[in-house]
Amino acid sequence: MRGITKALISIILGLALLLPFASTSPDGLEKVAESLNIKEPEISWSGPMPDYTFPFTENPYIPKLISGLIGLFLVLGITWIVGRANTLKNRVSK
Amino acid sequence: MHIPDGFLDLYLCVLMYIIALVSLRWAWRGMRRTLPRSFVPVMAVSSAFVFVAQMLNFPIIFGTSGHLVGGTFLAMLLGPHAAVLSMSIVLLIQAVFFADGGISTFGANIFNMAVIGGLSFYIVKILSNSSSGQKRFSMSVFVASWLSVVLGALTTAVQIGVSSVFASAGGMMVTVPAMLFWHAIIGFGEAAITTTLTSQLLRVEPTMLNGFAMLRGVTYERHY
Repeated sequence: MRGITKALISIILGLALLLPFASTSPDGLEKVAESLNIKEPEISWSGPMPDYTFPFTENPYIPKLISGLIGLFLVLGITWIVGRANTLKNRVSK
Repeated sequence: MHIPDGFLDLYLCVLMYIIALVSLRWAWRGMRRTLPRSFVPVMAVSSAFVFVAQMLNFPIIFGTSGHLVGGTFLAMLLGPHAAVLSMSIVLLIQAVFFADGGISTFGANIFNMAVIGGLSFYIVKILSNSSSGQKRFSMSVFVASWLSVVLGALTTAVQIGVSSVFASAGGMMVTVPAMLFWHAIIGFGEAAITTTLTSQLLRVEPTMLNGFAMLRGVTYERHY
């Protein structure tokens, strides 16, 4: 278990340290849409934290870090549950 | 590469949902067969890693950025089936909580990133041809991860190209070359990161790579 905890801490540290350097330029698909003058249509669903920020804040670092951490633990938890549900107990190694 | 709501025609959204569901069923059944329970922590942490890595865009050229998709990385750690499921969970959280990728286009996004990413396992398998050399393995991972991004971009380009929103801009004749151009470059970032990570893991913690073990027909049980 220790290796897993270590990996998790490294991921959180990596997020906190690298987030300020993450590029905010459009990605490949957004660039293609932009260059063709196509705007993202009125979105029907924006989620609680659209584009990893809270709708009411200006400074992007803290909200991004918090939404990153929320997302990280949501992914971790759901994957863990799916993993437990869909693997067999006492699998004998060949 | 996450397609937002509104970019795809309704029939295509439905079709891609059906293809995604069939793929998820294949992945669910396959994972039960191929992933030992002791790999659950590895599966959970590697998915969390991919979620975080997808937030960290790296700049390429001309004011465009890209980020790791992580499909080949997950496939090498978990095997193709569990990789498809892991990536789908990442995409689900992104769409529902962060509006990164639409809900109507969720099926398409699963296909373009999770399914193609997971299936890149078989590209590694063909290229490495069960050779046990570390160099051959690294080269195969490099090519497979580059291809997983480029092929995903191609299917994305076809999907948006045949949809009405992009029809006035020229449709597939425009979207396919444009998407391929950017993602051929982004793919090198993907390949560099994936190859570095998997070769390092293979060196320090080889029993963490269930996908690699599957390539060799070995089964690992991990003990904590």
